[in-house]
Amino acid sequence: MKSMAIVIRDDSYDKILTPLAFAYLTASEGTQVDMLFVNWAVKALTAEGAAALRIDGRHAAEEAKVREGVAKAGLPVEVYDIIKALKSTGCVNFYACSLAAAIFGVNEGNLIPEAEGIVGAAWFLNDKAAKAEHCQYF
Amino acid sequence: MSDMTITAVLDTSGKCCPMPMVETNRAIKGLAVGDVLHIIATDVGTRKDIPSWCERTGQTLLSMTEQDGVINYHVRKDR
Repeated sequence: MKSMAIVIRDDSYDKILTPLAFAYLTASEGTQVDMLFVNWAVKALTAEGAAALRIDGRHAAEEAKVREGVAKAGLPVEVYDIIKALKSTGCVNFYACSLAAAIFGVNEGNLIPEAEGIVGAAWFLNDKAAKAEHCQYF
Repeated sequence: MSDMTITAVLDTSGKCCPMPMVETNRAIKGLAVGDVLHIIATDVGTRKDIPSWCERTGQTLLSMTEQDGVINYHVRKDR
């Protein structure tokens, strides 16, 4: 697989792990991965937002156990550290959806440097998702 | 097995997806064609991940053995 596009909507700690793990897996093989963060997930592209990610709802009480499992699996425990690890592969691009950024308080001032920028969904869907060999939505 | 010379060992014991594959990709990049990588894994997901990765990336899986929950793979770098 040469390219993959991923759209991430869910922002709870546990739910964001899978798309990040899939991106890490494919990027390690040299696949180009473009990730668009929409809705609440856009806040994961800020240092404060990434650090604030928690497990929601009925699994909330199990957060410590999940974080322990993530460490045992060999992944960085903090989402921002996972993002940095993905970036270090040289194959992953992170984009913040402009609508989500406007609604949920993300701007070029608080966007993490690992992100490529704030982009329109039309550009991402046409120039990245439609042209990718594979597209996933989380 | 007896005529196989292991060039490098990658121990992923205890780690789970995606790390065994991330580390395998990283390790193979550092080897020369013809080198043999010995991968030690405990993640049962690698039973399918590593053979399919070998086929996809053009490497040769020389052997795959499992004992007491530890899976040993010998992979020759072919490209």
